[in-house]
Amino acid sequence: MSLLSLDHKDVARRYLWSGLGFLLLGGLLALAIRWQWAWPGQPVPGLAWALPESRGALTPPTYTAVFTMHGLVMIFFAVTPLLFGALGHFVLPLAIGARGLAFPRLSALGYWIYALGGVLVLASFAVRLGPASAGWTAYPPLSTSAFTPGLGQTLVTVAVLCAGTSAFTYGLNFVVTVARCRAPGMTWGRLPLTVWGLFFASVLNVLFVPVLAAATALLLMDRLLGTQFFIAGAAAVGGGGDPVVYQHLFWLFGHPEVYILILPAWGMVGDLVAFFSRKPAHGYRLTAGAMGTVSALSGLVYAHHLFTSGMSPLLGRTFMVLTLLISLPAEVMFLNWLMTLWRGSVRLTSPMLAALATMVVFGLGGITGLALGAVATDVPLHGTLWVVGHFHLTMGAASFLGVFAGLYFWFPKMFGRALHEGLAKVHVLSSAVLFLGVFGGQLAAGYAGQLRRLYDPYQYTYLKHLLPLNQWTTVCAFLLGAVQVVFVVNLVWTLRRGRAAEANPWQVGTLEWTCASSPPGEGNFTQVPVVLRGPHALSQPEVLERLGRDWIGQAEVLPGVARQDTTEEAVPASEGTVSTVRSVT
Amino acid sequence: MSTSAETAPHPSSGMTSDMSARTLALREDAAVDRPRIDALPGERTSVEGRTQPSSNAPSATSARTLALPEDASVDGHRIDALLGWSHRFEAGMAALALGWMVVAVWRFRNAKRAASDGGTKRSRAWVFGLALSTFLVVDGALLVGSEGYLRDVLWNLQVPATDPRTVRIEINAHQWSWEARYAGEDNRFNTPDDVVTWNDLRVPAGVPVWVQLVSTDVVHGFSLPNFRVKLDAIPGRVNQTWFRAAREGTWEVACYQHCGTSHYRMRGELRALSQEAYAAWLREAGRQAVQAYDVDDSAAHWGWEWKAP
Repeated sequence: MSLLSLDHKDVARRYLWSGLGFLLLGGLLALAIRWQWAWPGQPVPGLAWALPESRGALTPPTYTAVFTMHGLVMIFFAVTPLLFGALGHFVLPLAIGARGLAFPRLSALGYWIYALGGVLVLASFAVRLGPASAGWTAYPPLSTSAFTPGLGQTLVTVAVLCAGTSAFTYGLNFVVTVARCRAPGMTWGRLPLTVWGLFFASVLNVLFVPVLAAATALLLMDRLLGTQFFIAGAAAVGGGGDPVVYQHLFWLFGHPEVYILILPAWGMVGDLVAFFSRKPAHGYRLTAGAMGTVSALSGLVYAHHLFTSGMSPLLGRTFMVLTLLISLPAEVMFLNWLMTLWRGSVRLTSPMLAALATMVVFGLGGITGLALGAVATDVPLHGTLWVVGHFHLTMGAASFLGVFAGLYFWFPKMFGRALHEGLAKVHVLSSAVLFLGVFGGQLAAGYAGQLRRLYDPYQYTYLKHLLPLNQWTTVCAFLLGAVQVVFVVNLVWTLRRGRAAEANPWQVGTLEWTCASSPPGEGNFTQVPVVLRGPHALSQPEVLERLGRDWIGQAEVLPGVARQDTTEEAVPASEGTVSTVRSVT
Repeated sequence: MSTSAETAPHPSSGMTSDMSARTLALREDAAVDRPRIDALPGERTSVEGRTQPSSNAPSATSARTLALPEDASVDGHRIDALLGWSHRFEAGMAALALGWMVVAVWRFRNAKRAASDGGTKRSRAWVFGLALSTFLVVDGALLVGSEGYLRDVLWNLQVPATDPRTVRIEINAHQWSWEARYAGEDNRFNTPDDVVTWNDLRVPAGVPVWVQLVSTDVVHGFSLPNFRVKLDAIPGRVNQTWFRAAREGTWEVACYQHCGTSHYRMRGELRALSQEAYAAWLREAGRQAVQAYDVDDSAAHWGWEWKAP
């Protein structure tokens, strides 16, 4: 694999390793935060080399940098790259029967821009005054040079611009690829739900990442060029600007971003639940439509992040109604998943367990968000760990488990080797339980009033009694970190000496499993498949009768059915007979 | 309660402009001259106040981790009740969804046959109907309950505007303290008799307290966890909110927006006094403020014409 290869599968592998690396970094930063809340000011084990002056203990300035970088690294450099960069790049062209992405050079360039951002993030830890420390939201005026003068804040702001640029490029690439590069017969109604999720999320990337880029660029100008777009108060000279404008721009991106982080996982859950219930997804159109509706609404709900910013009652009421509205399509989608399980033949494979775990944590995360969508109930919970627990369940735990559902499902296709199924199941189940422990503990602490981002919450008398709870939560977090070793062992062992994967280990009909080798070669398919049916043709009576199995490839001709297009030449493939057209390239 | 028994805030607290002196004053003045003020009803003793910040959050009630902070406001119970309903719905939905999933997996695990359809018209209609009715009940209850609170309390500034007993406070949030300004006897802000306190809010119990809030450096978040009050302090604008203390006592003021290194120490105290004790304190503090007024200390002269609601 050349580092300069333009093949979408190579780009995907680059994103995978980088994303997993940043996931490790972000996770370690999270553990440092958790340590501080359980044993405030005590030396963090193993951190003495990095913080010699305090012998490994977090100081208030270090702590602010740690929670800021945890958020930025996880969102921009770990979860998004894993969902889109790794799984999206790998699966999307294969699943629609394309030979590659529409713009291969753009996808390779996007990775290198992302990598540049990653280097800047890492470099920021080494500069004087440390990395960014104004929170991942980087609200001005705090994030301007008057209050956060360090070079690190600037480097990280540029890094976010890089990650945004990369997200925009693959968003655009995915949208065009799905719209223009589908195989013959791959109608919109035959797309796997994974592709639908990636497609909608990519549309959101194209629409809303530029808003982040604009806000970040203006912020950089305030930091570097002396402009005052977002500066007011004592630091303003002359008229100054308005910090609230930044908050609106940021959340106009920020709220769609949480859907960007979960839509691909939703899509995968929809597919995996159908695959491993051995029956077609319940209400396929309804589910795809619900994902589309959520995407359409996602840009219209953002100001619930600003309910306490003193905005006008008219805006507050409008955003309250719109925010509550988004729960309707989400419920439709969730009920469709449940209905898919019903009357199926459920197989608890590792991807299925991960998909079910994603449903559980996402369901709880969604439910705990309801109270945050109404202004009155948002007030006591705003800015507390309740919010933190809520959004970590959705875009943290659910996205994480979604990534692993996808990874466990497509790993044999990516690397041609089969992971150890038992270890994978242990990893998924223990992660899911510990996620519930960690974020459940945060919900409880937040409900009791613990505010976010406090170096020492116990400065407040009304929070003192939460210390034991926080210690238990921290224990869960460290255990969660520890069980990731199971995944690493499985990964390393499998890549070195894992057994070769079967051609279609999960016995499903989507194109990547039925028309391409594992791993797929250059150009993905020897001949571009002609798609005949949807992605979930499972347990169909005529297939059972004629082929003796409960699945059939999306492009597989059922024996005994009259060929409709006689000009095409059928060639045998790894499994069954596949209808193809001659490659035009 | 004799007026001579009352104390003013630390003399330096309202009148110096030097930042370090301010911060020092703030940290200290809670402990200065406390014995006499602690004679007020509902107050703790000074010794406690000095060593451990006094608070009325008794360990007996709020030691229950899963409870909201103790409610000390007149109107907060409406939010708490709405949250209670919301939690019942949430628990019901979670139980339904989880139970359904567990039963489905249990019952259909490795079943010999699986259905071959992606749902019937009827089953899809059923999904949509269930989603719609859940949405209408749960979200509807939240919306209606929330709207009632917004109309009657949160966004109803007519209550403090029309109540003659209303106490008005201008708060200037700093890295990292709460500077509060009371209009004094003349009822006008930015005049020599203004009472200025640091991290030390005093309000009469039972009457509306109307707060207008600014920041001159970064974004802060003014919260009174025990009064269900949260409002951003943003440079360049005046935000306002109001609340009523249900009873006398001491509670905490907390910053909920990340505002820099010492964000976590941006802690103040709020004392709810009897109306008489409050009036006496304000009178005496205003008298001392006039004596200590320094015409040249321009940084201490802030305050704005009260903003109409």
